[in-house]
Amino acid sequence: MDGEEYRQFERTLTNATAQHTGAALDMALDDLGWHDALAADPRTAISLLCELQGAANATSCALGYVFAHALGMATNRGNGIVLPPIGRWDPPGTVDGGDLAVQGIANASLAHEGSALIVTTVGARTVAVSVPTESLALQLVDGMDPDLMWYDARGTSVLADRNVETLAGDWASAVALGRLAVAHELVGTSRAMLELACAHARSRIQFGRTIGSFQAVRHRLAETLVGIEMADAMLEAAWLDRLPKTAAMAKSVAGRQARTTARHCQQVLAGIGFTTEHPLHRYIRRSFVLDALLGSTISLTRALGTEVIMTSELPALPLL
Amino acid sequence: MDLESFRAALDTWLNDHEGSLAASYEGTGTLDEQIDHVCTVKRLTFDAGFMRFGWPEHVGGFGGSPLLRAYLGEALTARDLVEPGLYSMTEVLAPTMIDYAAPELAAAMVPALLRGDETWCQGFSEPGTGSNLASLSCRAVRTDHGWRVTGQKVWTSLAQYAQRCVLLTRTGTPESAHRGITALFADMESPGITVRPIRAMHGSDEFCEVFFDDVIVPFDRTLGKEGDGWAVAMDLLPYERSTSLWHRAAFLHRRLQELLSAAPPGALDPARLGEIIQLLYAFRSRSRRTVHRMASGGILGPETSIDKILLATSEQAIFDLVADVLTADVSCGDDPESQRWRSEYLYSRAASIYGGSAEIQRNIVARRLLDLGNGQ
Repeated sequence: MDGEEYRQFERTLTNATAQHTGAALDMALDDLGWHDALAADPRTAISLLCELQGAANATSCALGYVFAHALGMATNRGNGIVLPPIGRWDPPGTVDGGDLAVQGIANASLAHEGSALIVTTVGARTVAVSVPTESLALQLVDGMDPDLMWYDARGTSVLADRNVETLAGDWASAVALGRLAVAHELVGTSRAMLELACAHARSRIQFGRTIGSFQAVRHRLAETLVGIEMADAMLEAAWLDRLPKTAAMAKSVAGRQARTTARHCQQVLAGIGFTTEHPLHRYIRRSFVLDALLGSTISLTRALGTEVIMTSELPALPLL
Repeated sequence: MDLESFRAALDTWLNDHEGSLAASYEGTGTLDEQIDHVCTVKRLTFDAGFMRFGWPEHVGGFGGSPLLRAYLGEALTARDLVEPGLYSMTEVLAPTMIDYAAPELAAAMVPALLRGDETWCQGFSEPGTGSNLASLSCRAVRTDHGWRVTGQKVWTSLAQYAQRCVLLTRTGTPESAHRGITALFADMESPGITVRPIRAMHGSDEFCEVFFDDVIVPFDRTLGKEGDGWAVAMDLLPYERSTSLWHRAAFLHRRLQELLSAAPPGALDPARLGEIIQLLYAFRSRSRRTVHRMASGGILGPETSIDKILLATSEQAIFDLVADVLTADVSCGDDPESQRWRSEYLYSRAASIYGGSAEIQRNIVARRLLDLGNGQ
C-alpha cells in the first residue's frame, strides 16, 4: 500500500475498531475490504488491525482469519477455525486410530456456524477437517477476560463429515503469523494503557503539582514506553525475516512488556485504576490472556534458551 | 555502491586480510596497544577504500550511504578486529566536523581521522557539569590572536593520544546556559593544555582530565558561529546513538556467542539466556531502524534516548550473565581471556552512566516523548 492508500485504510480501520466489536466488527472488516488487504499485503492488514483492535479493546475473528490465510484457505472461513487451547500451539485436532479428538478455543461466532474447521496433521500433511459444530462440546469461557467471549471447544471421537482438505500452508507458519498478530494486539493494548496512565499523570494533582512531575512516576512511564518500543522493533524484525523463531521472540517480548506496562500503569493510576469504573482493568485482563495465547512469554523464552544451549548458536540477527 | 555489493566486497577482503588486521596482543592488551591497533585497522581499510565509503567526497570519502560505514564497523567488530568504543569515535566526531567546520578545515582535517593518522577527542563534560551540559563553564574570550580558553574538562576519552579536540566553551555570560556556548576545534599540542589520564575501574586510562590555561585557539577553528555550541553538541548525539550503537550491538552479539562456548556445562539457565537473547535482538532491531532513518536523511531526536537505554540494559544484562556463568574467571582468573571478561564486565557498569545517564534518558523520554511536563 502506498502512503495515501495506507492512511485511508488506517482511518477506516480506526473507525471500525472504535465503533464495533465482536460479530459487528467482523462484518465491518468484510465491508471495508480487510480480507483483500490481508491477501495482498498481510503485514499492513495484520499490524494495523491488531494494534487498533488492541487499542480499542475490541474483539474479532482476526486471529482465525490470519490462520486461514497462512494455511492457504479463504480467509472468510477463518471464523470457523478452532485455535489451540490457551498456552499451547500444537494443532487442535489429533487423530488416533481414525478417531479425531479436538481441544481448542473458538471465537463466539463459531456457535452460529454450521461447521467447524479442525486443523490436524496427518503424516507430513496439514489438513483441515470440517466437522458439524454440534458434534463439539462448546463452553463459554469467563476466565480473566469474559469480554473475549471465547468458547472452549472439545470433543473425542468426533465424527467428521469426512470433508478433509489438504492445506497449502503448514502449521508452524500459521502459528508464526498468528503470534505476530497477537503480538501486535499486545502492543496496541499496551499503548492504550500507557496513554491512560499518562493522561492521569498529566492531570492528577497531589501536593500542589501533577503526579507526572514526580520522577518516580515519570521513570515508570518512560520504562513502559521503552518496553513497548522494544516489542515494536522486534515485530519489524520478524516481518523482515519471516522466520518462526523471530516471530516467537516478538511474541515473547510483546507479552513481557505488556505485563510490565500493566504493572506500571496500574501503579500510576492507583486507586481509580483498580476499579471497574475505569477502563484500565479491561486492558489488563486482555493483555494477560493474550500473553498466554499461542505460548506464553515464559514458555517461549525457556524454549529459545534451551535450543540455543543445545546448538551453541545464537539466532541470526537482522541484516542491516 | 549499494549495501549488498559493499557487503560482498568487504567480506571477501576481510576474509583475505584477517591475518594482517587482527590484533597481535592477547586479551585486552594495553591501551597503547589498542590505540595503535585501531589506527592500523583504520589505515588498512582506508587504503583499501572501504573506510572511505559513506563519507562525502570533499572530506576524502567516496560518497554513498552511511549504511556502508555502519556495515564496515559492524563487520570489523563482529570479527573482533576493532574495539567498538575506540573505533566509533570517528562516527561521532567526523560528521560534526563535516556539518559545522569551514569546508576547507573539514577537508584538511577529516581524512587524517578516517585514516587513523590522527586521534581526536571530545571535550564536553566538566567537573561541575555532568548530566547538565548546558551549565558548562570552561571559558573562551576573544583576543587579538583568537579565542583564549581557560578551564577544565573531564571524562575526555583518549585525550592523551589525541591531536585534536572538539571543545565546548562558554562564550556568553555564566547565566546564558545553552545559548552562550561555542564549539572550537583545538590542537592538543597548543601551549597551555595539560592532560591527566584517570585510571578507571576496568583497568584502562581511557578517560582523562584536560586543563586549559590561556590556550589560544584561532578564530578559524570555530565550529559554526559563536553561540552555536549547543547545536553542535545536539548534532553529534544522533551519530552517537545510530552507527555507534549499531557497532556496539555487534560487539555484544559476538561476546554472547563466545560466552556460549566458554560456559561450563549446565551453567546457563535457559529462561534467563532466552530473555537476554530477546533483549539483545530487540536492541539490535531498534538500532537497525535508527541507522536506516539516519541514512535516509531523517532527523534523529529524543527518541534515540530509547536506543541508549536499550544499549545499557542489554550490555549490563549480558555481562551480569557473564559474571554469573564465568564466576571463577571473572573474579580470580589472571589469564588474558579472564582479564578481558573482567574488564568488559566492569566496563559494562558504565553503560548506564556515560553518554547521558539512565536517569537523564528516562527524564528525556518522559518529557519529550510522553509529554509529562518538565518535572519541575
